[in-house]
Amino acid sequence: MAFKKLLTKTMEFSASHRYWNPGWSEEKNKEVFGKSAGPYGHGHNYTLEVTVEGEVDKETGMIINLYDLKEIMKEVLNDFDHKNLNEDNPRFKELIPTTENIARVMWDIFDEKLSKSLSCRLHRVRLYETADLYVDYRRVEQ
Amino acid sequence: MVTLTRAYRFSAAHRLYIKNLSDEENERIFNSCSNVHGHGHDYSVQIKVSGEIDPETGMVVNLEELDSLSEKVLGGLDHKRLDIEVPYFIENQPTSENIAKYVWDRLKEGLGESLAYVRVSETKNSYFEYFEEASCPDEY
Repeated sequence: MAFKKLLTKTMEFSASHRYWNPGWSEEKNKEVFGKSAGPYGHGHNYTLEVTVEGEVDKETGMIINLYDLKEIMKEVLNDFDHKNLNEDNPRFKELIPTTENIARVMWDIFDEKLSKSLSCRLHRVRLYETADLYVDYRRVEQ
Repeated sequence: MVTLTRAYRFSAAHRLYIKNLSDEENERIFNSCSNVHGHGHDYSVQIKVSGEIDPETGMVVNLEELDSLSEKVLGGLDHKRLDIEVPYFIENQPTSENIAKYVWDRLKEGLGESLAYVRVSETKNSYFEYFEEASCPDEY
């Protein structure tokens, strides 16, 4: 029987954002995005879960060294934590920083960073905007 | 694949019983859940939708619309005695399994193919999930 082995690490960060499509009128932005279109932005305490899949190394008993994963996550979150995502993170200059898009951007970053690892690959990025709302971005096996 | 999951809460009372059985027989089947005067829970309902991120809005689903639709469906259950005040649960046992199906059927009308699953938690120790097998490839 084949088993899938997953490891998930969680980290929190805080950021502000504004939902605004520059191609639309103010009325349409307010109609579609409601309070999230406020001119000065608003913030959340996000919780990021990064899940990797791979084989358990016989010598270390690990899929990935948790310390290494922690360092990668801390480095990535430097561009997100205590930032205004629209203003401070160039990835959102032309991309609305919705939870969906933040998860997608994070998928691309972690997928690229973990692609150097021989032992594991990225399986899923789960991003909680609040305890009541999260987005999953993950690989679908074809 | 992108999915968005949103949690809602409502509080309701119910009694599990089969009408043509005696109170004793109902107690044997449903235990304390067949208490004659009912009992209640704070339910948590998770709604998962899947789809592509709309390039104009950056969203899989408009949250305000999802909230409005979900709150309309769950509002019909909130602070109700389900097996007395909600017609569907006069006909169907007000278990969390049936609540999950009730919510699924009503959300499906508004969300269509994007609805991926409905999870109903009666307490933090148990939950029930309802989805179409085809829309649930693995590990939800």
